[in-house]
Amino acid sequence: MKLEQPRMQRFKLGMILLMVGSLILAACGSDDAESDASDSGDESSSSSEGDDEAMEDDGAMEGEYNVFALLPQGTDQPYGTTYLPPMEAKAAELGISLTITNSQYDADKQASECETAVAAEPDLIILWPAVADTVRPCLEAAKDAGIPVTVTNSDVKAEDADLTAAYSGPDTYGQGVASAELMCELTGGEETGIIMINGLTGNTTAIDREAGFEDTINEQCPNVEILARQPGNWNKDESQIAASEMITAVGAENIQGVYAADDTMVAGAIDALKARDLDPADLVITSIGNTFLGNPLVVSGELDGTVFQSSSWDGEHAITVAHEVLTGGGGERIVEFMPSVKVTADNADSPEVAPEW
Amino acid sequence: MTSDAEVIGTKSGSRPVERLRRLITRRPESRAVILLAIVSLGAIILEPLVFTAYSATLGRIALIGLVALGLTAVILMGELDLSVASTLAVSGVVMASIDSLPGGILVALIVGVCIGVANAFFVVVVGINSFIATLGMLFFLRGLAFVISDEQPVRIANIDAGIAFGKPLIGDFTPRMLIFLAVFVVMHVFTTRVRVGREFYAVGGNRTAAYDAGIPVRRRIFTGFMISGFVAAGAGAINTLERTAADPTSGSTVLLSSFAAAIIGGILLTGGRGSVLGTLLGAASLGILQVGLTHSAVQVDVQNIVIGAVLFVAVISDPASVRAVFERVRIAVRSRRHQQTPVTSA
Repeated sequence: MKLEQPRMQRFKLGMILLMVGSLILAACGSDDAESDASDSGDESSSSSEGDDEAMEDDGAMEGEYNVFALLPQGTDQPYGTTYLPPMEAKAAELGISLTITNSQYDADKQASECETAVAAEPDLIILWPAVADTVRPCLEAAKDAGIPVTVTNSDVKAEDADLTAAYSGPDTYGQGVASAELMCELTGGEETGIIMINGLTGNTTAIDREAGFEDTINEQCPNVEILARQPGNWNKDESQIAASEMITAVGAENIQGVYAADDTMVAGAIDALKARDLDPADLVITSIGNTFLGNPLVVSGELDGTVFQSSSWDGEHAITVAHEVLTGGGGERIVEFMPSVKVTADNADSPEVAPEW
Repeated sequence: MTSDAEVIGTKSGSRPVERLRRLITRRPESRAVILLAIVSLGAIILEPLVFTAYSATLGRIALIGLVALGLTAVILMGELDLSVASTLAVSGVVMASIDSLPGGILVALIVGVCIGVANAFFVVVVGINSFIATLGMLFFLRGLAFVISDEQPVRIANIDAGIAFGKPLIGDFTPRMLIFLAVFVVMHVFTTRVRVGREFYAVGGNRTAAYDAGIPVRRRIFTGFMISGFVAAGAGAINTLERTAADPTSGSTVLLSSFAAAIIGGILLTGGRGSVLGTLLGAASLGILQVGLTHSAVQVDVQNIVIGAVLFVAVISDPASVRAVFERVRIAVRSRRHQQTPVTSA
């Protein structure tokens, strides 16, 4: 009983230390430049130190505009990891203070982040919809608050487009089209049975790419038949399992081709083929991305063709388009599509299509 | 050994400290109050926008807290319901698939109750552990949501009604916040003033004793799961209305957030201890923390570290856990001393 008091004190001290630690961690979590921005009276920024220096050199005013970027991914995904630095660099260059969120593809979380953004009354909101069907209330709230919204990476629904000022990013439907065109060219009119591995079910990009691919196949090369399709959820392991199951279900002898909605999943499908002693080089395989994983596969001949998606282009143009709206917006909706460059063994080594993520 | 001065000091200054210690030990939500105060203080200093733009913060708290309130009914009885997020998704999809808005909401709520009954059936009648039974239900319902929605988000028929639902109704309070507060009041009264609700504690605290005392344990477990399913389905209907569409992938972050809110609120996962008020405080702490970190432009991975740290604090600050840790450290130090003594003397 005599030890009860000091024990209690130790407990309280430990608890306080842990709490203080948590708060310090939170404060340290934001980028270094955030504190720089805070010093100048701006509480929300994520530009890097180097970017600040570049900005000073250019003579741009720091934090001239406050912008919220509502993204569904960030440093937790390879694409987001290489998307963010060019975005932040361009923001610093153009005098934009960025507050970036990551909803992890949870539409409800993104909606809540949108409420937070609207409450903060920024000059503009950049939106990368987690689920395009669910962003209408967010767009309406921003409109009511007089905050323009630009869209990045994945466009909103056509009926919601008039609530946004701009879109920049890949033509996700067009990417599916480009991958299908590669498939059509490579099959050369021969009867080809393929298996299809799609992205995360319900995800807008996954839906658009699937539609673009399928529509083009039906129009341009009806000789290509989709024998089976399954989601690979943008994940290599899940794609490998899905491909393996489809090979069993359809029969290896009936499969002459594979389409995967991105390079990560096509790598899983190629592994599944190899596990069944099937040579990927004997099949027509197309994908989308031209990533660090996909590009070497094109060079080695295991992947016949992919479609280049530049994360740096995407991140940078999210800011340039936003800046365009901030400085001269009010006119027609700006749309800037990322060029859907086809990558095959002929141009895979070219610096113009060097993989970025 | 303790010195005389320490002993005297303990005796003379024991009353307020001892009272505080007893309060913290007796009331499980006391620690949640302290945590909320610290988180709020941190937010006021680092990100005052969390409070000046309080409607967004309240919205986040309601988003996290609503499912957690329903979950509390199950956890108090020492059971788990991992299917809440999938219940939310499937009920939303069912609701959006029906053209009539009131009809859709009604069917969604009925679906939630049915899911609760099915969960309780597996736990009580079949005898499957609730973790396993609701894990199976989690996968089943998620798949069902995809099948019903044809693997695509389903827009509600009356989009304007959905947008109107997301706007403030009384002051800055949106219908979601008001429903959340109403559910809190009902759940609080139910678990503190109504006999059936109070018996949840008995079922969770000592099930054998509850049986012996004549409490209909099976019926209480059925009630708890039905409440959890009903509230999760309600949250699904609210989300669908507010977003004007049902997303079969929705609720991906809800499950862990609602459990985190309950744990931070001081609810014992083995049952018998905790309160609905604690869950509210836990959800408030988590909501303020998340909104504050979002305003501070903290990346989600660092946010997870912070939330994880807070969870650890919530768990290890339980007096029993602290006592156990110190006891083990003391034993370890003593045994080391005993080992070192012969070496030193030699």
